[in-house]
Amino acid sequence: MLQVFPSSQAGLFGRRQRHAHGARIPVTVMTGFLGAGKTTLVKCFLQTSEGRGTAVVVNEFGATGIDDALLRSSADETVLLGNGCLCCNVRSDLQVALRRLVSERERGQVPHFGRVVIETSGLADPSPILRTFATDRALGDEFHIGTVMAAVDAVTGLATLEQFPEARRQVILADRLLLTKTDLAGAGTADKLTRALRRLNPRAAIDIVTHGQADPACFLEGQRHEMAAAAGYAAEAVHGDDIQSFVLGEDSPVAWNGFARTMDTLIALRGADLLRVKGLLDVEGCSGPVVVQFVQHLAHPPVELAAWPDGRRDSRLVFITRNIGESEVRALFAAVRALARG
Amino acid sequence: MSENNPLRPGAHESVAWNFKLLAHHELQGFGGMGEGLSIQIAKDGRRILWLAHESAPKNFTALDVTDPRKPRVVVQTDLPQSHMRSNSLEVVGDTMVVAYQVQKVGLQPAGFEIFDVSVPEQPKSIAFVDRSGPHSRGVHQLWFADGEYVHMAAGAPDFEASHPLDDQFYQIFDIRNPSKPAEVGRWWLPGTRKSDAAPPPVRHQKPLYDMGFRAHNTNVYPQRPDRCYLGYIDGGMFIMDISDKSRPKPIAHWDNSPPYHGFTHTILPLFERNLLVMTDESVVDNADDWPKLIWILDAREETKPIPISTCPLPQREAFAGRGGRFGAHNIHENVPLPTSWQSDQIVIGTFFNGGLRAYDISNAYQPREIGVFVPPAPPLAPTGAIQLNDVFVDERGIVYTVDRHVGGVYILEMDF
Repeated sequence: MLQVFPSSQAGLFGRRQRHAHGARIPVTVMTGFLGAGKTTLVKCFLQTSEGRGTAVVVNEFGATGIDDALLRSSADETVLLGNGCLCCNVRSDLQVALRRLVSERERGQVPHFGRVVIETSGLADPSPILRTFATDRALGDEFHIGTVMAAVDAVTGLATLEQFPEARRQVILADRLLLTKTDLAGAGTADKLTRALRRLNPRAAIDIVTHGQADPACFLEGQRHEMAAAAGYAAEAVHGDDIQSFVLGEDSPVAWNGFARTMDTLIALRGADLLRVKGLLDVEGCSGPVVVQFVQHLAHPPVELAAWPDGRRDSRLVFITRNIGESEVRALFAAVRALARG
Repeated sequence: MSENNPLRPGAHESVAWNFKLLAHHELQGFGGMGEGLSIQIAKDGRRILWLAHESAPKNFTALDVTDPRKPRVVVQTDLPQSHMRSNSLEVVGDTMVVAYQVQKVGLQPAGFEIFDVSVPEQPKSIAFVDRSGPHSRGVHQLWFADGEYVHMAAGAPDFEASHPLDDQFYQIFDIRNPSKPAEVGRWWLPGTRKSDAAPPPVRHQKPLYDMGFRAHNTNVYPQRPDRCYLGYIDGGMFIMDISDKSRPKPIAHWDNSPPYHGFTHTILPLFERNLLVMTDESVVDNADDWPKLIWILDAREETKPIPISTCPLPQREAFAGRGGRFGAHNIHENVPLPTSWQSDQIVIGTFFNGGLRAYDISNAYQPREIGVFVPPAPPLAPTGAIQLNDVFVDERGIVYTVDRHVGGVYILEMDF
């Protein structure tokens, strides 16, 4: 298309966007083990002014659903809540439910929601959900993951983390951890839990919430914030389930073909172990930073931003991997670079 | 989902998706605005938004939008007669031109007026150009961007149309000496003047509405000063060769009606991309002239524009029953002035009760909606719904959009 109708206002990856998410609908993923208080957190958010116009997608309605009275009176899968919010009960396929919501929104059949909150079931590993949004073949064209949050029960959290790999996975992949029920746990228990969470996920923000009232801003955090946080934190190994996290940085501009080839190789060889890779690249020939994102075997279409977020012009890429070390990834990048030089 | 489903949004619900409302100003209770929005940077540095009113009693309003969050009325003027409307205006430097159209042929004043707005509080009339006549309603729309020529859709004292709806045609006025404006050229669709040898055009038949074969927008850009991009309502669009301004000549024509409902309004050329963006205007309530669209045309072969896509709209049923009109109208036109935002990647348009909508046209074959702003129905809205009429985006990326009846101006920030 660009060749047919070229424009100096567009770059290698199309229109330069103000934000990486462009005009896609932001999605907040709310994870947390059974009984950690996810529903209460979501319910409280919906009642705030910031929560207006949110569509909530729930994997399955529990005993304390979003709005029992409304749900009981509705035969439809989608119900209208107060504050211009929607609630959609997903009994089968999340993709189908989200596509239906978008199509109904476009046709004016439901209120024009501006955000989706997905409340996962307690036993869910968030990886498949994140994967669903990572490619335009699935939902990546319409939605983007704004933030991933995990609710952690301060009383039972430590034991749960020890027993259940799903709970650890929820913590590891979260951008923000919300500690609930701290009023019921002793100070010592909460501190111990906080240290355990830090070990699992040193980059996530940890908030203590009382009575389910999280700062609504947590739900609104977007890619921008996340990118800034990712760019700022030091590389720290995460000791849990052989999962590691590190940052690759590069001061000089990167050739896109070389980068793409390296990532292709990495995905082909170890895609299953690339839990999340995301960051900003200073690509040769591009004026703004290029946002890239990978989840396991899937690559999100790259997006060029209109401007560098903090004035710093360099490449910074965060890797969360399983059994892939920083040195191995660095070596692969170096090898491809050397090959390219011939 | 049925028509009366409680999930269906109503006229009093608002949407702001990827647009952030910075301010809303009802313009002192006179918030019925036309299709004239222009920015002046005053000598003292203030940024003044000039707005044409849609109908009497007000002529135009100047709004200080230096701080877009705190707009302030600088001046608001009255029309001399209640049977006239200004509707359209443009400002270049400290010179403003304002269109005057009357309700019936033969009434006065009909034409356009030139103002010195170097002191925004005190617009001073420099000249009035009379286009009234026994068969003229005066000027509906004008384009003034180079500080020298006014291109407009107007009647004339010496012009009798073959059909009353065909009275306004393309005219060019030289206002290089603003106190002595002079007509330099004109063109009308052959057959629309009573004395023409050519037969009159075939009127639109029911179920289409006969809206007339007359000029609407007359856009001219410095990239091609020898071209006028002319919307001709039920006559479709024309690209005019105006290298000789005294003899404008059509070199390309495309008309979507029938089967579409006509009312071709604006043609925006995207020069670097060889694209044209063309709008229809919805002019019938309850979307009875649906669909009124924004069309994207491949203009690589100038004489043979080819439609390749349209900007997607919500289903007719979602808005048709809300009250008033629903469908395309004005777009931001990349006005060739330093105070205007320029984009060949994004189209922003007004859709009456469908609000303001932004489209990413980076893939010209698949425009995508990337922003929506539908304010709630303003108090006392006669149709019971918002009727967003026109939009202008300044070089800072601040968006100004106006309601046709009562709502005044909404000032927004883009977030896409």
